[in-house]
Amino acid sequence: MFGYVKAFKPYMRMFEYEAYRGVYCSVCKGLSEKYGFMTRLTLSYDSAFLGLWELSMTDTVIKTCKKRCPLHPVRKTVCLCTDKGLELTCAASVMLTYHKLRDDLSDKGFGKKLIAAVLLPFFSSARKKAGRLYPDMDKKLAKAMKEQGRIEKERTASIDKAAHPTGAMMSAVFSPLGRDREHRELLSRFGYLLGRYVYLCDALDDLEGDVKSGSYNPLCVMFYNDNDNVTARKKAKKYCTDSVMLTLGELAEVYTKLQPVKHKDIIDNVIYLGLKNSFSEITGKDRHNDK
Amino acid sequence: MTNDPYKVLGVSRSASDDDIKKAYRNLAKKYHPDQYEDNPLKDVASEKMEEINAAYDAIMNERRGSADQGFSGFGPGSGTNGHAFDNNRVRNLIQSGSITAAEQILDGVAVGQRDAEWHFLRASVYYRRGWLNEAYSGFATAANMEPGNREYAAAFRNMQNQQNGGMAGNPYQRKDPSSMSGCDCCTSLCIADCCCECLGGDLIPCC
Repeated sequence: MFGYVKAFKPYMRMFEYEAYRGVYCSVCKGLSEKYGFMTRLTLSYDSAFLGLWELSMTDTVIKTCKKRCPLHPVRKTVCLCTDKGLELTCAASVMLTYHKLRDDLSDKGFGKKLIAAVLLPFFSSARKKAGRLYPDMDKKLAKAMKEQGRIEKERTASIDKAAHPTGAMMSAVFSPLGRDREHRELLSRFGYLLGRYVYLCDALDDLEGDVKSGSYNPLCVMFYNDNDNVTARKKAKKYCTDSVMLTLGELAEVYTKLQPVKHKDIIDNVIYLGLKNSFSEITGKDRHNDK
Repeated sequence: MTNDPYKVLGVSRSASDDDIKKAYRNLAKKYHPDQYEDNPLKDVASEKMEEINAAYDAIMNERRGSADQGFSGFGPGSGTNGHAFDNNRVRNLIQSGSITAAEQILDGVAVGQRDAEWHFLRASVYYRRGWLNEAYSGFATAANMEPGNREYAAAFRNMQNQQNGGMAGNPYQRKDPSSMSGCDCCTSLCIADCCCECLGGDLIPCC
């Protein structure tokens, strides 16, 4: 996925960090058990965040178990697990990665295309399997990707419109976690705003590259109209920051209504510190270029 | 996103009022949620039903509106609180989550008749959908057009606050080192100094 949704480690307590890693490891383990070894290669902490939510919704007891990890073959790593495993997280992760690879294959540079072409066969069978478990999610994701393609063709200048498909995708991923209709609606909005945040981060992060290659980017359409790239970048950055802050403010608003029971401290960390930190890492990149 | 109300009912623009009523009744019979009890399509049906209701209202309002103007020759009709559209109905639709229906009515209002209330409600629709940039500028327009209105001002202030980095329920707000400004620090020192002086000591000797 994208890697923008992660915790801010300096503010984590040791046991929180261990639990966070445990969730990450069990998503990784689950992916390889359910969908084959290759699928775990593209894992990011974004999936661990979804895993945290899935764990916080289940009523079953959470156990820890030690398992071997191919990256650290000597030492066993601690995983958090339940009886059911992180079914939704694994399925969503596979489906989202599949669509991202398809997307990479159509519009990215040669290197990414090659990686996508190599990985895609593994993911298309995995995606079919995941789609059978969550047919509704699968349908919504495919629909959103189609809309994304249409928006890119139209080259719309509206960031709200451009971010909508990504929001819809994450909304489809989060809403099945809900207990009842009201809860699902809140989770759906939560997912939407999180997806919107991810899209905005990605747009600013890729801006430089997209300007050079001429790929579609709403910020590019809005601000890079004449040759003054320095002013354009400043304006785009300001606009994107404002949008991100609006999105995070609203995300927090929904989050206060959701109040997860388990792992609240870790999720708090991601939402209130991690997301802002990921964004400032993107805006901080050109700090030395500004002067 | 917006659907033409005539297309929703499947009638042409030149259809008579009776034809429209007939089409509406047929569709309403077909999609009435009561028929979909214990059916997985229930949500879809009720959504469709809302859409049909909104389309029918939109067409009827539009026709009645033009008829009213034809007779009286001025201003929006009664029952709309001085707006070019039924704002209470739109508010109810937004409240109940029928965003598309509310949007249809709002988009049917002519550009020249779009007042502060219109901008506020249009922004509320965007807000519910998560289109926050459009919502922000809509609330700003409403608040500017009618500066005395507290509701518009509050909605705009809330979003301004978010844009400045405000996040509801933030447990880290106090711990965040960057929020400790020089001012807080000085004030605390002054107070500490006063306390010490009261007790006969002195923290800052010069004052």
